[in-house]
Amino acid sequence: MNPENPETTEVDINAIDPTKTHQVAEFKHDIALTTLRVDPTDRFAAVGAEDLDVQLWELQSGKRRTLKGHKSWVRSIDFSADGNRMFTACWGGEINVWDTSPSEPSPLQTIRAHQGSVRFVRVSPDGKQLATCGNDLLVRVWNVPDGKLVHEFSGHKRHVYGVDFHPEGKHLASQDLMGGIIVWDLKAGKQLRNIKASVMTGYDNKFAADMGGARDMQFKPDGNQWASAGITKVTNSFAGVQDPIIVLFDWETGNEIKQLKATDDNVKGIAWGVRFHPDNFIVGAIADRSGKGELWFHKPDEEKAFHTMKLSSAARGLDLLADSRRLAIAHADGYVRLYRMTGKPPSAETPAEKPATEKTG
Amino acid sequence: MRRNQGCNPIEHAMARRQFLAGTAAGAVGIGVLEYQAQAEQLKHQQKRILQVFLQGGVSQLESWDPKPGTVHGGPFQAIPTSVPGIHISELLPHIAQRMHLLSIVRSINIKINNHEQGRQFMEKGRRVGDYPYVGSVASKYLTPPDSELPGYIHISSRGLTDVAGGAAFLGARHGQLKLKGVKPPSNLAAPNGIDPAADVRRDQLRLQFNRRFAERRSKALTDAYDASYQQAAKLMSRKAMFEGKASEKDLERYGTHDFGRYCLLARTLLENGATCVKVTHHGYDSHAENFNFHLEQLGEFDKPFCMLLDDLKERGMLESTLVLIHSEFGRTPKVNVRYGRDHWGTAWSIALGGCGIQPGAVIGKTNDTGTAVSEREVDAGHLFHTYLQAVGLDSTADHDLPGRSVPIGDPAAQPIKELLV
Repeated sequence: MNPENPETTEVDINAIDPTKTHQVAEFKHDIALTTLRVDPTDRFAAVGAEDLDVQLWELQSGKRRTLKGHKSWVRSIDFSADGNRMFTACWGGEINVWDTSPSEPSPLQTIRAHQGSVRFVRVSPDGKQLATCGNDLLVRVWNVPDGKLVHEFSGHKRHVYGVDFHPEGKHLASQDLMGGIIVWDLKAGKQLRNIKASVMTGYDNKFAADMGGARDMQFKPDGNQWASAGITKVTNSFAGVQDPIIVLFDWETGNEIKQLKATDDNVKGIAWGVRFHPDNFIVGAIADRSGKGELWFHKPDEEKAFHTMKLSSAARGLDLLADSRRLAIAHADGYVRLYRMTGKPPSAETPAEKPATEKTG
Repeated sequence: MRRNQGCNPIEHAMARRQFLAGTAAGAVGIGVLEYQAQAEQLKHQQKRILQVFLQGGVSQLESWDPKPGTVHGGPFQAIPTSVPGIHISELLPHIAQRMHLLSIVRSINIKINNHEQGRQFMEKGRRVGDYPYVGSVASKYLTPPDSELPGYIHISSRGLTDVAGGAAFLGARHGQLKLKGVKPPSNLAAPNGIDPAADVRRDQLRLQFNRRFAERRSKALTDAYDASYQQAAKLMSRKAMFEGKASEKDLERYGTHDFGRYCLLARTLLENGATCVKVTHHGYDSHAENFNFHLEQLGEFDKPFCMLLDDLKERGMLESTLVLIHSEFGRTPKVNVRYGRDHWGTAWSIALGGCGIQPGAVIGKTNDTGTAVSEREVDAGHLFHTYLQAVGLDSTADHDLPGRSVPIGDPAAQPIKELLV
């Protein structure tokens, strides 16, 4: 397939305008998806699903490869800067390392990373290390070439949901079920700062259980802020009744800067994705309890979004493409959908009139 | 009713008198060994039930019947247990080490997906009708007449509606005494201004009225009333037991969270002669985030339950205590869009062990995807018979009620014979 070719149009469709976001392509898997990552060169979109495989699509051709090697659902994915290596983390506690070039990739390496699930994997800015976190309450750092453990950080009291490298590569931030955020100093090998994001957790009184955790985390490329996506205002989490939220934090102080919330109070669910856009807005991807989804576009200093877009299926993973005009979402209906944050070329018709997208499978 | 003659209330009474005599005699020189022997005998005589209710419907796929790698299997792995060939969910690592003490029934189909109806069926062994819960039946037929504690005690953090405490026609005496957490039952203290002497005088006056009332009426009418007073008096004298004071060592083993403390209180109550103790652990109705919630909830359940199991075994009580772990139903194999599983009474599991139960067994089977029972289908009627026969009661006999008799277990169902010792 050819999802789009803006160069062939006569109008300027390169001007980024989130209010004109529209779907431009979709890729189908038969099983509900769990996570998504696009490689930094925009060649691949990789997803995990409610099965044991990784689906790797080439965005230009639509060619799909199915990568086998995990024993459980894949929860998190990251790529090397050149897109040639892929790192996938599963609920079974393992990280698989893949070469993305073979027609039938098999794991180059399997790292037994955590006891219980690995919830997050991230590649360091210099590409030499991996950070992981898991249900053993640990944050670990691994050497990429040999898979050797470099650091093991303990300090979280509850399951650790997310971790990311600061862009300067000297620190990590990790977040747990209870909203506990720890900033780790990689050189000193210890905690630098302990932050309590209480707004991102809640106790369900009726069912006597905690709910929370970072479902996605990302540092702003300039390193001044980071964003965490998750939930707030737990009402009846066992039925999915809580509010999605994205919280922005200041790197220098560790203080919360802004809470980004739903524009429509009827939206209940979880924020599964957050990304800083280079044009100084924030994109959020939401799974509503109804099974539908929503895209949020926020200015960093405004609680309510300046634009939202309904999605036909709940979002479970979000990434921006390097071209900064497109974003990709993993959906609960098994589709990866590509959306473009620009106007449509004059010849393009709405999907209802004529599919502007091409299904591949 | 007929019952297994292995033990009866008279024997319990005799044993208690012997035990007390032995205790007193011990003070004047009877050997420690004889005391220990008598204590051992006592421990083995009264049969009890420990019922752990995982409220909301625990997922069979995340507990007793894992199917990793299948279409509905979810993200968790299956782990081997202390019984070769039996695997359970990785979310129950402590139970896995003690699987040789328990058995699993994997083939339950109650054809009910409603919380209240499912709970009633699992408790009463009947789909409909005003029948007593298994705990009330145990209270009626297993509790020694001189028991210091009510026969049926339920520890829960919040209320569940149980009409007449589950006793139905067995009478309020056999209904649940509900404890909302680890604290004494409400209204145990005497009213302000009533000192002990005044309380005794009040009670004497009550007994005098009772005697006069009973002269021209059936004694049964005043017996139940008297029993309530006697039970309340006993509870007032044992208030401290319910306050749940625990040693540092116990708290370290069981945990300091509510469920750990409930299990410690359950141990104390069983040690002190309670016949049926039910502990409810809430939080399994996971229509959303099923996997994260089961990770949290079963993580909280697994270890304290196992500490209680260990302590019952160490105290020699496990062979006389039937241990049940059940819900009102299981959860759907299909995962919904919220990562949830919904209500599912069609193919699910429970675990049980201890008194009268063949340990280390798996009864029945579900199909490869967990969507249906494929072997040895049973329902709550079969389980009800099995529970009672395990503790030596003849579940096919009748409740002998004034003017009528009522079958104890559903005549249309039978016990799971291969599960009984």
